[in-house]
Amino acid sequence: MILRVSVALIYAFMLLPLVIVVLAAFNAGNYFTFPPQGFSLKWFANFFNRREFMQALWISTEVAFWTALASTVIGTAAAVVLVRARFKGRDLLNAFVTSPLLLPQILTGVALLQFYTLLNMHASYAALLIGHIVVTTPYVIRTVTATLTHFDVALEEAAQSLGAHPVRAFFEITLGVIKPGVVAGAIFAFAISFDNFTLSLFLTSAQLTPLPIELFAYLKYSFDPTAAAVSAFAIGVALVLVLGIARFMGLEEFTGF
Amino acid sequence: MRRGPGAVLLGPYVLLLLLFFLTPLVLMLLISVSRQSFGELEWTVTLHHYARFFSDSYYLSVLWDTLLLGLITTACALLLGYPIAYHLSFTRSRWKPMLIVFILSPLLVGIVIRCYGWMILLADRGLINATLTEHGWITKPLPLMYNKFGVTLALVHVFLPFMVLSLTGVLKRIDPQLVEASKTLGASPRRAFFEVTLPLSLPGILAGSLLVFSLAISSFVVPILVGGFKVHVLPMIVYEQVLSVFDWPFGAANAFVLLVISIVLIAVYIKVTERALRGIV
Repeated sequence: MILRVSVALIYAFMLLPLVIVVLAAFNAGNYFTFPPQGFSLKWFANFFNRREFMQALWISTEVAFWTALASTVIGTAAAVVLVRARFKGRDLLNAFVTSPLLLPQILTGVALLQFYTLLNMHASYAALLIGHIVVTTPYVIRTVTATLTHFDVALEEAAQSLGAHPVRAFFEITLGVIKPGVVAGAIFAFAISFDNFTLSLFLTSAQLTPLPIELFAYLKYSFDPTAAAVSAFAIGVALVLVLGIARFMGLEEFTGF
Repeated sequence: MRRGPGAVLLGPYVLLLLLFFLTPLVLMLLISVSRQSFGELEWTVTLHHYARFFSDSYYLSVLWDTLLLGLITTACALLLGYPIAYHLSFTRSRWKPMLIVFILSPLLVGIVIRCYGWMILLADRGLINATLTEHGWITKPLPLMYNKFGVTLALVHVFLPFMVLSLTGVLKRIDPQLVEASKTLGASPRRAFFEVTLPLSLPGILAGSLLVFSLAISSFVVPILVGGFKVHVLPMIVYEQVLSVFDWPFGAANAFVLLVISIVLIAVYIKVTERALRGIV
């Protein structure tokens, strides 16, 4: 009983700030008080009417799309090798390919900022995109690996012994089986890139501002609920993406349950 | 698998990492021992910036505060995360998928948004203070934000999902029959928990704690937004030195101190979990 009550309270603690942001976005007043001062969509209207927010939303979506595409392709390819390979130093290689995920992003951000500046490619679109691909690919590798560990290599060998070319066997058999992990990995990569703040902060400029950076800049100077509308929109996107992952891979498998 | 196709498939990512991850980090190390005069880098080998860091009591106190904040955050996350993970691992509730969404969604919602949620709640004119003032229970706002309390609260919230996922990873592998056996032998549920379940979940506790600690000591968004630049932590100094002061060598040296701490933590983490590739955390 005590366990149940405390668990419910901790869930409430986890959800509270998100619920508050969404409520504030639909609240008519400038400050969010309890009880709310009535329903209004004006903060959303303000969000959609502001050019800098729309531009930022577009940049974020575009970068997230290309990041997801690139990291899914190279991440899936890498996962296929890493799961099956038996060679010396495999553990070290595994640690190396997942290190961008474990290393604090502020460090990757600072290192890339200095590297790009010396190469004269700082604040370019390619620079931002490559940075995002570096940090999202390990997530794809992990989700694909999770589905690959159940995969029976004999299936692929059977296809080959029936005359299929190894490449064809891979695309028609292996990829078919691991598709849920690949799709879930792609969605997750999209989400991580779309919401990325820490790395982007070091790789952006006034002309190249993704949504989280724009929101951060806005919050530094003003406290009005337009920021809540932007946030509520992003929470909605995250929720859709989680449901997508649930649909394709199942959340228990995805989280390693 | 033969060497050929393996290299072709793994090649692009390894090359990407060597070029855009390892090289920049090595460059950062080189910059941290270089000199900067009038905005130009001189490629020398000097430990001046490290000496400056470790001889200045301000930076040492910031380092100490950062580690302490990380430790408190980790302890709180463990205290809150364990009951959730325990419940999630053994529940047969039909709500389980929804509960996993509750754990996962904060992970997918950007850190700026989660901080903003706490700002709406904790600010001087925020929800809590406004409500309390309106009812006449307090006359001046409680100091909930722009201090260590607010920062710790937000840090615990931001990194709790990582703790929960690390713990469930271990808890769900514990054979329920072991607990049953101890109860059959006369142990109370309480004793069965403390003498069977808890010791068996120690690897998860260690892994989750290392992960949360490593994330907490490197977070600077929370100290900036919820702390309002008033709670000084190491990553914030890195951020200021690199992006506002433009003292690259000193910023890089600060970053390298953080990097060494992180690498030690990561190495222990990988050793403990021995699962560099499974699960999302």
